[in-house]
Amino acid sequence: MNISFQSSQSSSRTSWRLATGFAFAALFCAILLGGVSAWLLGSVAIAGLSAAALTFNFHMPAAFIRLFAIGRTAARYGERLTGHRAALADQVAHRVELFAAMAAAPAVRRAGWQLGDDARLADYLDDVEDLDYARLRAGLPALTLACGLAALIAGSAVLAPLSLLPIVLVLLAILFVGNRVAKAGAMAWDRARSLRRGGASRLGAAMASAVPLKAECAWNRECVAALAALSSADGELLALRRLQARLDMIGAAFGPVAGISVMAAAWHPGRQGPELLLPMLLAFSWLALGEAVNGASRMLVAVLRRNAARAEIDQWTRDASDGRRVSTLQSIEPRLLLHGGLQRRAPDGRAIGTLVALLFERGRPTMLAGASGSGKTSLLKQIAGWIGEDGFAADDRILSASERRALAALVLHDAVILEDTVRANLSAAGVPDAALWRALEAVEMDGRVREAGGLDAWIRQDRFSLGEVQRINLARAWLSSRPLVLLDEPTEHLDDEQGQRILERLLAHLDDRIVVVSTHRTPLRDARIIELQA
Amino acid sequence: MKKLSAPPQRPDPAASLAFQALTAAERLAKSGLRGLLIWQIARTALRLGFAATAAMLAGRLVMGGAVDPGLTAATIVLLAASCLAGLAADRVQASAENTVSTGLRGSAGDRLNEMPARLLQSLPVGSVIVSMQRHPEQVAALVVGHRAATAMMAAGPLLAAGALGFVSWQAALLIAGLTPVMILFFALVGKAMRRRADAQERAFGRLADQFADRIRTLPTTLANHATAGEAAKLARRLDTYAGKTIGLLRIAFVNAGIIDFFASLSIAILAVFLGLGHLKLATIPGFSNLELWQSLFILMIAPEFFAPFRRFSEQYHAKAEGLAAAAALDRLLGAEPVAAKTLPSLERLRLTLPAKGLVAIVGPSGSGKSTLLRRLAGLEHGGMQGAQPLAGTGIAWVSTDSYVPEGTLGEAIAWNAVAVTRDRLEDSARAIGLLDDALLPGGLDARLDKGGANLSGGQRLRIAVARATLAGRAVLADEPTAKLDRETAEAVRRTLLAISRSRLVVLATHDRDLAAAADITVDLTQGDAVEVAA
Repeated sequence: MNISFQSSQSSSRTSWRLATGFAFAALFCAILLGGVSAWLLGSVAIAGLSAAALTFNFHMPAAFIRLFAIGRTAARYGERLTGHRAALADQVAHRVELFAAMAAAPAVRRAGWQLGDDARLADYLDDVEDLDYARLRAGLPALTLACGLAALIAGSAVLAPLSLLPIVLVLLAILFVGNRVAKAGAMAWDRARSLRRGGASRLGAAMASAVPLKAECAWNRECVAALAALSSADGELLALRRLQARLDMIGAAFGPVAGISVMAAAWHPGRQGPELLLPMLLAFSWLALGEAVNGASRMLVAVLRRNAARAEIDQWTRDASDGRRVSTLQSIEPRLLLHGGLQRRAPDGRAIGTLVALLFERGRPTMLAGASGSGKTSLLKQIAGWIGEDGFAADDRILSASERRALAALVLHDAVILEDTVRANLSAAGVPDAALWRALEAVEMDGRVREAGGLDAWIRQDRFSLGEVQRINLARAWLSSRPLVLLDEPTEHLDDEQGQRILERLLAHLDDRIVVVSTHRTPLRDARIIELQA
Repeated sequence: MKKLSAPPQRPDPAASLAFQALTAAERLAKSGLRGLLIWQIARTALRLGFAATAAMLAGRLVMGGAVDPGLTAATIVLLAASCLAGLAADRVQASAENTVSTGLRGSAGDRLNEMPARLLQSLPVGSVIVSMQRHPEQVAALVVGHRAATAMMAAGPLLAAGALGFVSWQAALLIAGLTPVMILFFALVGKAMRRRADAQERAFGRLADQFADRIRTLPTTLANHATAGEAAKLARRLDTYAGKTIGLLRIAFVNAGIIDFFASLSIAILAVFLGLGHLKLATIPGFSNLELWQSLFILMIAPEFFAPFRRFSEQYHAKAEGLAAAAALDRLLGAEPVAAKTLPSLERLRLTLPAKGLVAIVGPSGSGKSTLLRRLAGLEHGGMQGAQPLAGTGIAWVSTDSYVPEGTLGEAIAWNAVAVTRDRLEDSARAIGLLDDALLPGGLDARLDKGGANLSGGQRLRIAVARATLAGRAVLADEPTAKLDRETAEAVRRTLLAISRSRLVVLATHDRDLAAAADITVDLTQGDAVEVAA
């Protein structure tokens, strides 16, 4: 993986270099195409008045003009293609890196998984994309534009110094307005994001309570309020676009103003006729550059969106480095795992309830019983080392949270199906097919998987019922080789008999491990039971 | 016209079901689009005017003519006016799109309001949120921005050709003659691109959303210790997909390249023709005997002719996104009602509800307890005789999916009730054990996450019970004691009984103790025999 990373990184660097080259070439050709064409027309118009017409070397500039025309087309195409190639290469590297950082981030283990939710995931993906493409949308065009500007300003300083006054004035105006757009725009964008998120979660809450809200005649009020928040977010975006429009107006005036200024400044000291040809070349060059300034507001918006996206994604990946220290403790197989008085913690780290004494034993499953809301899932995560920093005694040593993370197979009740093959979904690399099928038989999914096309069939979450997802999840537990197996509501979404059947089979299969099961149903016989109170 | 006394006619189901986002959006966009087109045409016309005067000015200067102050003033005024028209066009476009998205969201909200609760409940929450959040905006960009760009593709070149015609109809004809060639190229490229895109979709479509999917499923991957393998796989797949995407872009960018090519080519051809004309080396009708300003004018206008094509091609994504968004909205909001199970026992049920007392609906799962409850709430229509829906009198609904607004526990309890004192709030919360809940520290000031995300079903239900004690309305409760631990269930029973002394409490329940305490029991056990015991 590292090798392919490096190669993709170096290929991205080459692509960026190429793209930058193309971008410069495109701007150079565009500027000169306009300028030289105008210069040629002026020259031949003057030459045409006299006998010089016969000796005028027409073919040289005409050839240059054709070259610039073809060059501009080709360079723009090259710029687009290599720019996207570079951005895509960066994107691949960045997304893989981001995936690893997210996987290591404590925030992901702690909270309920918010990015499992479509709306949040869509926002997150927008952020990632804003990061991926900022360089292509803002960095590269800004660089070429700045260089073009510098060149033309230098030209103006030589040919018509007075013209610099209006040019610099307009440039300052652009910088001033641009600065305001950047600041006010960033705030508008932030407000829009938080309004959108607020509206989305409010709408989600209303949707989840559709029946009670309709019964109490409160649906419309809540729904209208949620949608109003989304519309105010659109209102913020409207404000942002209005700011952009102002900047673009000045941007549109820049090229022409500069062109007029150059002509005026050249004419003012009394230059005439042929002496004005070079200033005209410059003036038309300014006009051509002016076209490129038109996208200025889009660059600014790309930058402010990138900044917001970066801040948001950093929230997720904060402290990711802690999680990367993966413990290599897979070889130990404790017989006992115990804690004399564990302070239970909510997912956000808050202490809850009284201390509980925990003793788990290999070969004898423990049931965590308790009503909904009594914190069973949180306790399982705490045992698995996902929440808190407690040490548990295991045989003759203390296992830290990160060590337990390496030892535990945590089977969450809200586990999902990856969009991938059945085999990948079982996440049991190197296990022979026969064993995979045995696991599927044990959870009574073999028929369904055969029907879907076997172990290498590509599957998606939405093709399965909740019960089927749960059973695939239990097959993962069956196949796990970790010494500590934590099952969170394993019979949820299954009917009573099937649930009992599968659970008994699974517990028999796992009789050489430490197993903890949370349930709100009647616990199994001969299991150790820990009753949790809310 | 029907008389008012006639039974209410149900609207034609087909007409009421179809939601036509595109038609609705087009209606909303009408006036804004007109304004936008007017401003865009004004901008184009003014730009052409500026080009004409600027060319005259430059031409005269170079040819040694006198500077006409009127012409100079006209140039500057036209430039300023075209920039202002551009500002107006941008602002009108932003406002028009905002009007459409807000209006469309509003009518989508109306549609959600009309939907029966059960249909609403059956919609995928995530898609609804994404739809309400993003799709109106995308449809708006289609019916405003994209439509305007389409219209300008006709108006812009016509204006430019018209302006050229003033100076040289042959030049206008030359440029216009290039257009069909360009469009032919477009068609060819478009076809090749679609073929390629289809092939890519077939071969690699499943890899398109791998990153999103791996983020969505991250906790599952973590729990199965599959992170490293998934990261490596993700890198491979993203790399493959990026490679294929580049292949597609290579063709897609040809489109933009064609426009660039023709725009550049036209300048090059014109410059050469006009130059030859000025040198009087060749007599080309329409290109000879022109003033310098005329040929400069032609040179400046030519790119304007192609600019609308480029703007249109930039809108390609807006079109695809907008159409997809409209289709998604239509699909979501035109969803067929979920067919209700016919329950003969309910059709025959005769039930007169008392003004106060406890009514228990009992029977096995699927016997229609919840359906009866919803019918009593007026959420579903059914042939129930005798019983009037309670909706008119106001209902407090108690269930595990009761609505919890964002805010504190106190605010959640006071929600949708008349103003109550803090003492009463506290009493009602204490009665149901909400004040000493370890997971809700801080009593009435305990902070609830957005949408009650940190609450269990049991906690939601207890909040609803506390709310019901304050509301003064008839109470409908769906399985109020399921999934609760013993003490909490007892508190719920006690509270509901207390309420039933002054108000009507109807509950659907499996709970024998509750059923035993009821004044009236509706037993749905026997498919067709309904026992109503006093």
